[in-house]
Amino acid sequence: MAGRLGGALHIDSTAWGVLAFRASGGAHEVTEQLCTILVREQDGDGRVCMNRAHPGSYWPTPLAILAWQDSTASQVAQNRAVHFLLNTTGIHFPKSPTEPSAHDPNIKGWPWIEDTHSWVEPTAMCVMALRATGHGQHDRVREALRMILDRQLPHGGWNVGNTLVFGRELYPMPETTGAALVALAGEVDGSEVARSIDYLQGEVDRLRTPISLGWSLLGLSAWDRSPANGLALVERCLGNQDRYGSYDTSSLCLLTLGALADDSKAEKPLFRRLNSKSRPLVAAP
Amino acid sequence: MSDSAHEKSNEGLTRRQLLLVGAAGLAMGSGLLLVPKRYFRMPQHAEAFVAKVDHYQLDVANAITRGIAELGVSPQALKGKRILLKPNLVETASGAPHINTHPLVLRGAIEAFLKLGASAVMVAEGPGHRRDTLAVYEESGLADVLTEDHIPFHDLNYITGYDLPNAGRQSRLKTLTFPGLFREVDWVVSVAKMKTHHWAGVTLSMKNLFGVMPGIYYGWPKNVLHRVGIENSILDINATLKPHFAIVDGIVGMEGDGPIMGDPKRVGVVVMGRNLAAVDATCCRIMGIDPYQVSYLERADNWLGPISEKSIEQRGETIAAVRTNFKLIETIPAHRSLRLA
Repeated sequence: MAGRLGGALHIDSTAWGVLAFRASGGAHEVTEQLCTILVREQDGDGRVCMNRAHPGSYWPTPLAILAWQDSTASQVAQNRAVHFLLNTTGIHFPKSPTEPSAHDPNIKGWPWIEDTHSWVEPTAMCVMALRATGHGQHDRVREALRMILDRQLPHGGWNVGNTLVFGRELYPMPETTGAALVALAGEVDGSEVARSIDYLQGEVDRLRTPISLGWSLLGLSAWDRSPANGLALVERCLGNQDRYGSYDTSSLCLLTLGALADDSKAEKPLFRRLNSKSRPLVAAP
Repeated sequence: MSDSAHEKSNEGLTRRQLLLVGAAGLAMGSGLLLVPKRYFRMPQHAEAFVAKVDHYQLDVANAITRGIAELGVSPQALKGKRILLKPNLVETASGAPHINTHPLVLRGAIEAFLKLGASAVMVAEGPGHRRDTLAVYEESGLADVLTEDHIPFHDLNYITGYDLPNAGRQSRLKTLTFPGLFREVDWVVSVAKMKTHHWAGVTLSMKNLFGVMPGIYYGWPKNVLHRVGIENSILDINATLKPHFAIVDGIVGMEGDGPIMGDPKRVGVVVMGRNLAAVDATCCRIMGIDPYQVSYLERADNWLGPISEKSIEQRGETIAAVRTNFKLIETIPAHRSLRLA
């Protein structure tokens, strides 16, 4: 799928498209076709990059794993991608006493781009993908869950992954908070993330853009704290395209998943309460 | 950006540093070792224009139009040109509008360039911290202004890129990937904010260009650039992109723990110029900061532009008339020794 109508192939958009199309009850043949495209774009070592010319941009790999979850034809590719993630991490190092940042840089997660530090959102995506494929008890996943908790802001919420720098607490962001809450759901006690749920509940009504709203709805749903007006918020967000122009495919798909997060009639519920004991993220057909 | 400590540079000596070491060796042989290295470089000359604008509600467009004229940019040079304005949109936080370039400065720039004959003006940004660019666009107030003015906004983080050889060669990056949109414009204008920065010392028009690098290739918060060194990356991006113009919003800047957590600082100026290093050096002096103590500016001196006061022709207000010392924090290493005597 293209990032925008008539545009070039975007790997992340294709993966998001599979997830949204499947969740809304789309035809299996269509999602299989899209999965085949993702398989075709996979590198030999299992990574799935934004662009073959930029092999370091492997952050869509967990998205592809989730997209392949319901595709029997993609199982070999999915296994390769899982193997890649389990054997890949960011740049980590012991915390020095003079370190200006408060978080522990030695706890492993996953980076956006090869050879850089691990951050919250790519780590949350990898946790979702690995839990969905039955690797929830793997050491890497357990460490990544610790890493996400370590990056939680003292007053609640997450940002890219910095808590305090030079003694100042930084601002939280709804999109990262939503992703972190999905990854942690079913894994940690509610008291550990209560302040972040409170933060997101306080924010969700004012969110007008698809990435923030989509992830917030998914995050709150994962903890059974969906707002009663979730669909109205989605409708308002869709209406804002008059103001911002058409949303890109990834944003639209994320918003769709947010809208369906609490819909019991959705064909295959996504990103609900993940279970580390191998409960598939996407139910088998 | 708040992650540089975690993207520690693994760079050794750069080619440029090696050349300087070589030059120093030659200087030693000729008895010139005690002369600062800036005097070995070829002299350059540039202009910077400082406009006094006390409030955002005043006629910013008129100040920018006057500045463009005083800087010698003729209407012929702008006629029919497609202009891309790159603001500094970082994050949003209620009560902290001094984080981002003010929307009314962008409106002023849009009006000025259109009035001077540009065929199209657009605004584009790829925020380093927020993945949700539209949220920053909306909450910064920019969406209100651009919607009303029918000016397009582009999210640079998700635009498919094209590669250029790294002309700066300060970092180990062999190529830099810029958004494809840049092939469709004639001028790139850095519309920055006047701020202190806890890793780089200051963030002005040169550092602002971090935001042109697409997040899909560089990550959030532009991790690759931090990993190969913030200063190296600033120089590489500027040397390769060769931006055409700079406008710095110093009406209300940020002092202290910038670029996010600092305090508002009212200066009441807009600083402009065709040479970004010269503009940033002028901003530093207005902020009471010695540009030679800002590592990337010192390295840019007489390469990407002059930073010495005598090489920059000052137009509009004098620096002395508008200088307002920005608060520096002694516990932040990048702030130490920055104060201009």
